[in-house]
Amino acid sequence: MRVAYYSPLPPSRSGIADYSSLLLPALRDRVEVVVADPGRRAPAADVCLYHIGNDPDAHGWILDALGRRPGVVVLHEYVLHHLIAGTTIGRRDGRAYLAAMERELGVAGRLLGLGVLDNLLPLLWETQPERFPLCGPVLDLAAGLVVHSRFVERRAREAGYGGPVWRIPHPAWPMEHVTPVADVAGDPLIGCFGFLNMNKRVPELLRAFAAFRRHRPGARLLLVGAAAERFDLTRRLERLGLGDGVERLDYVPEERLWSLMAACDVLVNLRYPTMGETSGSVIRGLSLGKAMIVSDVGSFAELPSAAVLKVPVDELEVPMLAAALELAADRKEALGSAARRFIEREHALDRVADLYVAALEDAAGGEAVADAVLRRVAEAVADVGVTDTTWLAARLAEIGLGGPSEPASEHGSERGPEPGTDRIRSGALAP
Amino acid sequence: MCAPQVPFVRGGAELMAEELVGALRTRGHEAELVTIPFKWYPGTRVVDQALLWRLADLDEADGRPIDRVIATKFPAYCVRHPNKVVWVLHQFRQAYDYDRTELGQFGESAEDRATIQAVRRLDAVALGEARRVFATSRNVADRLRRFNGIESELLPHPPQALPYRSAPSDGYVLSVNRLDRAKRVDLLLEAARLDTTLRLVIVGDGPDRGRLEQLAGGLDGRVEFAGRVEPERLADLYARSLAVYYAPVDEDFGMVPYEAFLSGKPVLTTLDAGGPLEVVEDGATGVVTAPDAAAVAAGAARLAADPAAASALGAAGKLVAERVTWDACVDALLS
Repeated sequence: MRVAYYSPLPPSRSGIADYSSLLLPALRDRVEVVVADPGRRAPAADVCLYHIGNDPDAHGWILDALGRRPGVVVLHEYVLHHLIAGTTIGRRDGRAYLAAMERELGVAGRLLGLGVLDNLLPLLWETQPERFPLCGPVLDLAAGLVVHSRFVERRAREAGYGGPVWRIPHPAWPMEHVTPVADVAGDPLIGCFGFLNMNKRVPELLRAFAAFRRHRPGARLLLVGAAAERFDLTRRLERLGLGDGVERLDYVPEERLWSLMAACDVLVNLRYPTMGETSGSVIRGLSLGKAMIVSDVGSFAELPSAAVLKVPVDELEVPMLAAALELAADRKEALGSAARRFIEREHALDRVADLYVAALEDAAGGEAVADAVLRRVAEAVADVGVTDTTWLAARLAEIGLGGPSEPASEHGSERGPEPGTDRIRSGALAP
Repeated sequence: MCAPQVPFVRGGAELMAEELVGALRTRGHEAELVTIPFKWYPGTRVVDQALLWRLADLDEADGRPIDRVIATKFPAYCVRHPNKVVWVLHQFRQAYDYDRTELGQFGESAEDRATIQAVRRLDAVALGEARRVFATSRNVADRLRRFNGIESELLPHPPQALPYRSAPSDGYVLSVNRLDRAKRVDLLLEAARLDTTLRLVIVGDGPDRGRLEQLAGGLDGRVEFAGRVEPERLADLYARSLAVYYAPVDEDFGMVPYEAFLSGKPVLTTLDAGGPLEVVEDGATGVVTAPDAAAVAAGAARLAADPAAASALGAAGKLVAERVTWDACVDALLS
């Protein structure tokens, strides 16, 4: 099988580029992979794999390629408003933006879209993208979906996606020995890695850390990542009296990133609202066997409670987060070893690559298999003169044939929807 | 009791299904063998077969509820029942470890690769919905875990009921197998070519018989192909053998070692035989060699050189085999 692979790759600085640089060698060990280049002719292949994220600069060309040839979409995040806006309004194609908004919300969506185009409304992808994910244009083109979480799978189904969905965990980085940095320390050292903005709950983290530090004066908070434009971190730190308790680093190269993470006792990765993403940073931290605190939302809520502490996003968020910092610092060994076990079991790179191959093989030939079987079933149905095929359709759906199916998901044992039989009802059983 | 059946083919799995039905009836249960002819080729036909089982309605029979369904092999375990227990003898190995080997049936076409995925999906559904999953050997259990992420309970089963007995050795090595390539009887014939004192009796029939008979052609009449034999004769052949050869490629379970042991005979097998290695231990209950003709010949010579030691190995094997009973199997399956 030959797979055409569409993804940003390093030196592009994105989580999806990191993801692909991790996955590609393992995938190449199993199948033939041709990496597509932007601006070049599409490679010949049995199946195409499109990695889609929300950044139009990194993923616009991939969305264009998907529009020309359907294939399997890896939906790295569910909210794609920025991508759609960038590839429509950004290319002076307001009509396409309006169509996407209308697909999502009907006439109300079109009207909101007009408001944006006429500068009567703030830019929705900046102010409230989670309310208008605009995933529809991608779902319409996807012959199959790879998702990393049940959360995104559910959202796609709720949006009416009826094709196959494979739930494949984010791969873990193979762990070689990582030497913790010696120039940053704390007792304990709390780490928060990634783009610093409101969405990452940095204000809440700072308030919780200030409360925590009253009991643990030796504690330090390490913030690594670029800060959002309008996010005045310095003033916030001053107001909370955290000047000397916080270490601040901007972009750091890969090797130092690992060493900084390894030096931390506890990692914090909060999110709200969620865009449906699975955080590569969380996977890195868990791979290192670190005590981890996340928000109890979206795909983060699916992490096992034995391995991470989950903080609800509500009025008690700050005190709960302060308590979680205490607990994580006290129980960092137990949490860390549970995290490592979880990662080895679920996120091992070889396992993830095997699941990808299964999904791609299914995508490339699954329809031919279904057609062959359904043709013979239809002939038998016609020979016997069966008119009510409900029972038959239900059994077919259970084994992944006909109607919205539930193919080899990561756990593999989920049943397809009862009797999800569009294909049969629409006449697939007519010989 | 649901088991597929390949018309005109009869092997260990068919015997086991009948024995289990008998064991259930002996213990006062009403039990019936339900079977559908199994044809797994060409290409996607294997999926049709799973669907046939899926369509079978075994909730009730003649207005009375069926309390439990026990299924043993793909695709029979695709049957639906609220109280389904699967006792896995075989998955459809062409979709797993046989794939891309000479024992596989699927090629590299998109349809073939997707058919493999369809079989795996079927297993996930069928085994995932079972109330309990048992495996006849650690080898089967390991494959379920490795390929499907499914945990199972180990439950070996006794061999067919024969009038087992032990008698002084007549010096031949016995092979009891369906004659197909996976059973690797040719390895034993190659060993006999290297050791001109080695005598063989080969019981069984199958598609590889012609080729094997040709291979045996130059062995001075030291090989007897007995074909299919009646139970009494089979027990007699076991009883008078020096040892029993059993070395399929990564076998799931294999009843032959148990039959050999109940006849007080050691088993000659190879390091890659899979399931048999769970009971055949080199120097304890048999001889385990590298999977090449010279090593097998040397192993047979070791046994022939010291018949008393060979008997002792067989006697130790008998203690192992006697621990596996139908009582234990029925209790586990119905608990």
